[in-house]
Amino acid sequence: MLKLYRCLLRFYPTAHRDNFGEEMAAVFSEVQAETAKRGWAARIRFCVRETTGLLLGAVQEHLREFPVRRFAMRAEFRFPKSTAVLMTIILAGVVLAIERGKAIQASLPDVNPHLGPIQPTQHTFLPIVGITLLFFYTAGLVGWAILFALRRSGVHRLAEMAPDQK
Amino acid sequence: METLPLTEPVLLILLSLAGQPRHGYSILKDVEQMSEGRVLLSTGTLYGALRRLLDDDWIERLEEKDSSRGRQAYRLTARGRKNLRFEVSRLKHLTRLANLRVAVKEY
Repeated sequence: MLKLYRCLLRFYPTAHRDNFGEEMAAVFSEVQAETAKRGWAARIRFCVRETTGLLLGAVQEHLREFPVRRFAMRAEFRFPKSTAVLMTIILAGVVLAIERGKAIQASLPDVNPHLGPIQPTQHTFLPIVGITLLFFYTAGLVGWAILFALRRSGVHRLAEMAPDQK
Repeated sequence: METLPLTEPVLLILLSLAGQPRHGYSILKDVEQMSEGRVLLSTGTLYGALRRLLDDDWIERLEEKDSSRGRQAYRLTARGRKNLRFEVSRLKHLTRLANLRVAVKEY
């Protein structure tokens, strides 16, 4: 019976077996020796109880270990507790600011009802693009003029080259 | 993880360890005696509960120099004793309430 018990113990996770296996077997043999004096009915009840308890216990231990192995984050990726606190504070601040903004908006009278329609986006977008292009074109020209003045633009070298080398 | 309210086997295991440190076999016998033979723990159930209680720091293994791996004694920690007291007071309150309600029903 003890051999069968030790076989069933193999269903447990290794860590649990290493920690409690010997102890469980020792307690089992003590209870078995005591039950042996009580008769067949007690022995059968004992066998059923132990087998059921052992198998259910093994399933529970595996279920307990499963999510830890499956979903545990590596230590270096764990959030420190302070991060969670700071994130909560920031979230609370954002929510508070939104609510405060809503309150201010509700408290103010309608100050600019006669401003008229807002200008369409393209009316402001195109001049900005034009100005930007003009700025970079001018900057390029100035840059090239400086290089030309410093004789670094390559035009002078090209002029000095023989016609057959061009 | 053990949470309150405790299951009957876990409560009986803690009560067994409340008086003195005990080995696994001694716990089994004490639980059987306390429950008047109603709760018979298997070794699988006992050591599953002991493992959870150890993990939660409710009990601890007693360091004995001459103890083999087959006979380890366990005792309640301060945390375990505090939680046991809490559970007992919860049960007292529940029993008092139940007595009052049952008494009212009988009249």
